[in-house]
Amino acid sequence: MGKSISILVTCCMLVVLMMSGAWADEGPIVIGLQAPITGDFAIEGQMARQCVETAAELINQDGGVNGRLIEIVVADDASNPRDSALAAQRLISDDVMAAIASYGSSVTEPAADLYDRFGTISVAYGATAVQLTMDKERPYFFRTCGRDDSQGEFFAKFAVETMGWERIAIMHDNQTFGRGVAEETRKYLEPYIEEGRAEIVFYDVITPREQDYSAAITTLRETAPDVWYYTAYYPEAGLLVRQGREAGITIPFVGSNAVPNDDFVRIAGIEYAAGTLMTQEPMPQDFDTPKSQVFLDAYREKYGDIPSSPWPVYAADALFALAQAIENTGSTDADILAAEMRTMENAEGVTGQILFTERGDRRDIPYAMYTYTEEGTLELYTP
Amino acid sequence: MGIFFEQLVNGLTVGSFYALVALGYSMVYGVMKLINFAHGDLFTLGSYLGYTLLVWGASWITTTAGVWAGMAIAMAFAFAGIGVAGILVEKVAYRPVYPAGRLPLVVSALGMAIFLQNGIMAVWGPRFQVYPSHLVPTASFELFGLPITFLKAFILVLSLVVMGVIYYLVEKTTFGAAVRASALDRETATLLGIDIRRVIFFVFALGPALGGMAGVMNGMYYRSIQFNMGWNYGLKAFTATILGGIGNIPGAMIGGLLLGIMETMFAGYVPGGGAWKDGFTFLVLILVLILRPTGLVGEKVAEKV
Repeated sequence: MGKSISILVTCCMLVVLMMSGAWADEGPIVIGLQAPITGDFAIEGQMARQCVETAAELINQDGGVNGRLIEIVVADDASNPRDSALAAQRLISDDVMAAIASYGSSVTEPAADLYDRFGTISVAYGATAVQLTMDKERPYFFRTCGRDDSQGEFFAKFAVETMGWERIAIMHDNQTFGRGVAEETRKYLEPYIEEGRAEIVFYDVITPREQDYSAAITTLRETAPDVWYYTAYYPEAGLLVRQGREAGITIPFVGSNAVPNDDFVRIAGIEYAAGTLMTQEPMPQDFDTPKSQVFLDAYREKYGDIPSSPWPVYAADALFALAQAIENTGSTDADILAAEMRTMENAEGVTGQILFTERGDRRDIPYAMYTYTEEGTLELYTP
Repeated sequence: MGIFFEQLVNGLTVGSFYALVALGYSMVYGVMKLINFAHGDLFTLGSYLGYTLLVWGASWITTTAGVWAGMAIAMAFAFAGIGVAGILVEKVAYRPVYPAGRLPLVVSALGMAIFLQNGIMAVWGPRFQVYPSHLVPTASFELFGLPITFLKAFILVLSLVVMGVIYYLVEKTTFGAAVRASALDRETATLLGIDIRRVIFFVFALGPALGGMAGVMNGMYYRSIQFNMGWNYGLKAFTATILGGIGNIPGAMIGGLLLGIMETMFAGYVPGGGAWKDGFTFLVLILVLILRPTGLVGEKVAEKV
């Protein structure tokens, strides 16, 4: 009697296990989204949620991934590192298959550590600090946005191939970000220099937080460059543009993506800011990819307008990349997926093809050249 | 040669600002033997006072008074306002701790600097404020083929005039003799009938007032101002003061100009010099202190005012 009961119980358990196993294979794929839904950057978080939900709907309309639908679970990190760790823990205990997390490098870092420790894949969409992928090994960490220094590559190519600028002046502020971009620019200019198509005529540092840069500006002017690339932040950029123009420098000024904002225009003065160029992440409307049209139409239909910031669409791309990896492998195992994401070449996102490097950075990151108009607004630059 | 001249003018301009701030620094030190860390932030406060006045009076300046008059009024306003602020700072932060000795005094000065900086941020906000460009004189003239704005020339001339006036006040007038006597030996000066409170009042009104005026010039010339910019100027002015000989008025002037020229020449002529500019400047400072501990024009410690 006792034996038969135990057999019965075992059978029941087996059935339950099989059913739950079957449910896990047939039910939705749960993906977490960790974003600043509240806090200082709430608008970024909310647009990211809208983007990810739009992307999930598009995928589900096409029949999901290998016949399974995508389900999104949202956790709010309020854009601060402490809540970020809590949000990550919540998503991990919810047993999400992967997490899209998050906006801001200092917020993303503690979460990335947690996801990594628990073997959950996380894909950042707005965290560009170099250290996130270069400091230590995080085998489950990826990002669909660029790295702080990757715009150097874009500038080098744009300057020589698109614009034909030969004499290039590079100036930075000797801080991590500015120097990173400057060194990267120099690195990617090397091949052109060897071909004799470009020359770095000025490469020097200014001290941030000062107000008078006339010495460096006079020296720069005397090297007669074709273009002047400043790779650091807006306060100095504003002063440089003003003092440079007043000292008679008329060549194009190009700023890094830490330059364009309203304070830059105020400090430089609109009369000098107009016409300056910026290497920047493209705005959603400026993407010319097969997927962007479909995606932005769906987004607009749902929310009335397209995202007003460059970052949220990278969250959608994180989902597209994850979905593609699952489809390619037919697996939801984190190790298999992480290996697949490093090698797959067929993931299409809103921002173009999504390729990852060995360390989880995005390869061939899209950048664009923007310019300030006479009204002080940014628009895509067409040479 | 043309470039050298241009860099020299660049250096003189930066140096004039350093000198203007250093003059006030040096004066306070001469009499009080106090490194007034709050000086840089009083300079910032002056810059903000001038900015506020200009923004309020913008329409009056453009229609009736003209930009130069607007600038003069803003400078006078900041001069007076920061003079009063200097006296208040002395009353609130320094006077109560005189008996406690010099170290508490320095700590109190540092505290005052932090208080002022945060106060400015609380009132005007952490963002950059920009002097409206239509209220800044932009006319220029040519010197040896180099266009120089009248504003630039004015800044240099002003710092020279200010130095001259202060030098005259301290060295040639009876009141100046009282100031010098107080600097030498406060107790003996009191015994001889010098009203030491009047001397302190004078020093703490005039020193910061000069800084406040320099703040307006700074806003006029560089346009953008921020709540924490005073720290950098304070540091540079302090360096200039030591370079020239602390407590010595022509010394502060020479130190400031020299510092500006050295920085500019190093950044302008040494390849990759931008990164090492400050390092080089302080190296020179150390060398000066080793070879001439009292500064370039400093005299024996006892004679400083």
